[in-house]
Amino acid sequence: MAELAEQVKIPSNYEAIAWKWMRYSGLALIPLAWFHVLIQDVLVGVHHIDLDYVAMRWASLAWRGYDFLLLAFAFAHGVNGLRQVLRDYIKSDAAMRRLSWVLLGFWMLLSLIGAAAIVGGVRQP
Amino acid sequence: MNAVKSTLDGFTSYRTRVGSLSFILHRLTGLGTLLFLSIHILDTSTVYFFPQLYEHAIAIYRHPVFVLQEIVLVFCVIFHGVNGARIAIFDLFQPRGWNSASQNTTALWTLGIAVVLWLPAAAIMMRNLLMHSFGWFGGA
Repeated sequence: MAELAEQVKIPSNYEAIAWKWMRYSGLALIPLAWFHVLIQDVLVGVHHIDLDYVAMRWASLAWRGYDFLLLAFAFAHGVNGLRQVLRDYIKSDAAMRRLSWVLLGFWMLLSLIGAAAIVGGVRQP
Repeated sequence: MNAVKSTLDGFTSYRTRVGSLSFILHRLTGLGTLLFLSIHILDTSTVYFFPQLYEHAIAIYRHPVFVLQEIVLVFCVIFHGVNGARIAIFDLFQPRGWNSASQNTTALWTLGIAVVLWLPAAAIMMRNLLMHSFGWFGGA
């Protein structure tokens, strides 16, 4: 088995890169997402989060950068994960290709909205 | 479980084991987190696009039902991370370590670590919920 495993050549196509990327981005997300959840959900808590809190946090460029990384890694990881799950259930290649474009559009739209908010920051009403 | 026709010995049945339960849990926790994340990107974006709506969004998140879901979400994020680390470490650095025996042991360890990490977080969030929504611990 060990010798056999070494002879397998992994083609460097889109799916192989996506497969590797899911693992590396996943490892990066463990500190990124866990610290985000620990701070916002556990230590601060939803009862202490309001517009002023977000404004205070985003006054620091470092936290904006942190949230930008989180948005970039977590959402792409999630949407590609959804695509992987759908691939197991959708038999038709044509339908899967169409759906992949829909997912790409969904990912781009929400990423752009999120990125615009991080760059634009809090507007006091 | 599902019977599959096999050419060798007639029928083989698919046995649900720790590894496949872990596989299902990984997918469910991932999809659940993605669902929340999609909503969360939109609600946070209101701080720039519609700042007067942000307080409404936060008010929904403070509802006890949502706080309970938030506690479940934290479990999803922790389990998906611990189990994802298991998958990534085996795939990237120990591909020969994948076998049913190591799967069983490491999947159980994964679940155990996730629960141990989640319990204190769940306790703190539960305390916040009881304090802010039900006036326990002196209220707030």
